[in-house]
Amino acid sequence: MRANVRRQRPAAVNRVSAWLLHHLQSMIFSLGKIYQAPATTIMTVSVIGITLSLPGGFYLFLKNIDAISGDFRSTTQISLFLKLDVSEKQARALEKKIADMPDVESTRFISREDALDEFRRDSGFGKSIDTLSSNPLPHTILVEPGEVDTFTARNLQNRLQAMPGVKIAKLDTEWLERLYTIIEIARRSVTIITILFSFAVLLIIGNTIRLDIQNRYQEIVVAKLIGATDAFIRRPFLYGGVWYGFLGGMISWLIVELGYLAIAGPLERLNLLYQSQMSLITFSLHDFLILISSSTLLGLAGSWIAVARHLSRIEPT
Amino acid sequence: MIEFHNVTKRFESGYEALSNVSLQLDAGQMTFLTGHSGAGKSTLLKIIALIEKPTRGQALLNRVNLRTVPRRRIPYIRRNIGIIFQDHQLLFDRPVFDNVALPLQIQGYRPQEIAKRTRAALDKVGLLNKEKSMPITLSGGEQQRVGIARAVVHKPTLLLADEPTGNLDPILSREIMQIFVDFNRVGVTVMVASHDLPLIEELDMPRMTLNRGRLILNDLAEIEPESRDGLH
Repeated sequence: MRANVRRQRPAAVNRVSAWLLHHLQSMIFSLGKIYQAPATTIMTVSVIGITLSLPGGFYLFLKNIDAISGDFRSTTQISLFLKLDVSEKQARALEKKIADMPDVESTRFISREDALDEFRRDSGFGKSIDTLSSNPLPHTILVEPGEVDTFTARNLQNRLQAMPGVKIAKLDTEWLERLYTIIEIARRSVTIITILFSFAVLLIIGNTIRLDIQNRYQEIVVAKLIGATDAFIRRPFLYGGVWYGFLGGMISWLIVELGYLAIAGPLERLNLLYQSQMSLITFSLHDFLILISSSTLLGLAGSWIAVARHLSRIEPT
Repeated sequence: MIEFHNVTKRFESGYEALSNVSLQLDAGQMTFLTGHSGAGKSTLLKIIALIEKPTRGQALLNRVNLRTVPRRRIPYIRRNIGIIFQDHQLLFDRPVFDNVALPLQIQGYRPQEIAKRTRAALDKVGLLNKEKSMPITLSGGEQQRVGIARAVVHKPTLLLADEPTGNLDPILSREIMQIFVDFNRVGVTVMVASHDLPLIEELDMPRMTLNRGRLILNDLAEIEPESRDGLH
């Protein structure tokens, strides 16, 4: 018999190419099975797609918020209100000094006269202001630190505060910090949602493959009887899971893209209202690849669990 | 090729299907395994096909102990056995050709080689013109012949058949049995379990007979089993 085995070997090209061939066959075979049962497949794949579209959509939402808040970050500014006894000449000298400091990107000087004019024009209290005997507004210097983190901005604020002639250095970041905290909460929520929904996808695919194994019980028994290895029998099911994951990922991508198309109009308007230069961000190629590959991996993992649990129990009797 | 030394198979229910069976079947020999239903014929074949494990005794296939063989080696041992079932165990979701080609696919043959060997096997059982048919459209005898083609397509050295003619009329049964005899002529070791005694006598082949788990007759034994009680 051993001699016989050796005699048969050359027919199989060699171990590696036979293995590759069967992988290819399993891949196509499992795709064929999916194609043969379109209703079941569409349902399963849609459930996976809808499940994954939630974390996908949240991720994209977060990405947009991030981009917009990054926009805000670059507009962080410190308002320096000078003491009333500082002359315009002194104030302009101070502005020049500040503009030369590191961490400072630009400065703008608003004289107390300009400030009053502006106030008279914009506030609608023009007449009441005219009754004032003297101008109550100080000279103001607006300092833009450029793109720096909160810590650097605070540091700069403290240094400016300590300068002679400065009454108040006001860094308006509290609302920004609040926003960042909210974004951080959202980010963690998205992580939790992603983990939970990935687990759901794992269960969906695992269950689908389990049913698939049950439906093909007879085939598995026959294959085992004629000498199929466990790996050989496992392969088509694993590829089945891979296909489910891949197609589910594609559907979730489609859902998210369509969803964003639906809300793009109002979002664009909101952007205009906030005078933001940002345009709506959708999935980048990188995001797309991550989405598809992780859903495909989830498919593989789900089917692996099902196969490990159920396939070895099937033995011919 | 097959050696049984005092093999006993007791199921968990306590039922003893085989009791102290000793036999030997050399390479190239053919034997019919007869006996009433429940005599242990199927159990004996299942032990050889590694579907059941003996409870006691030694069952060897090409000197491999079938009781202690590791699970991962089982597929490779089965590849040298062709098994034919009474209910032929065909897969009804694919055509005849794919059914017969399955053992070759499992063993990783090249597609051209698979096509060649599959057609040769179908030709041998006279079903070359049915390769594209679905098994469900075939008659009982044709289905059984597809089962035989699948069992021999990878040229196993041992052929096991469990009641292969159980559902067939006498003429078809004779045809099927003749196919086994033909395989034996070209050197394949064959063991056929059947209770179709008239047909077996007609073929004039060695017999082994089981009765309630005991081997009571063995035409291939040099020394007849002690327990035989005057049948022959």
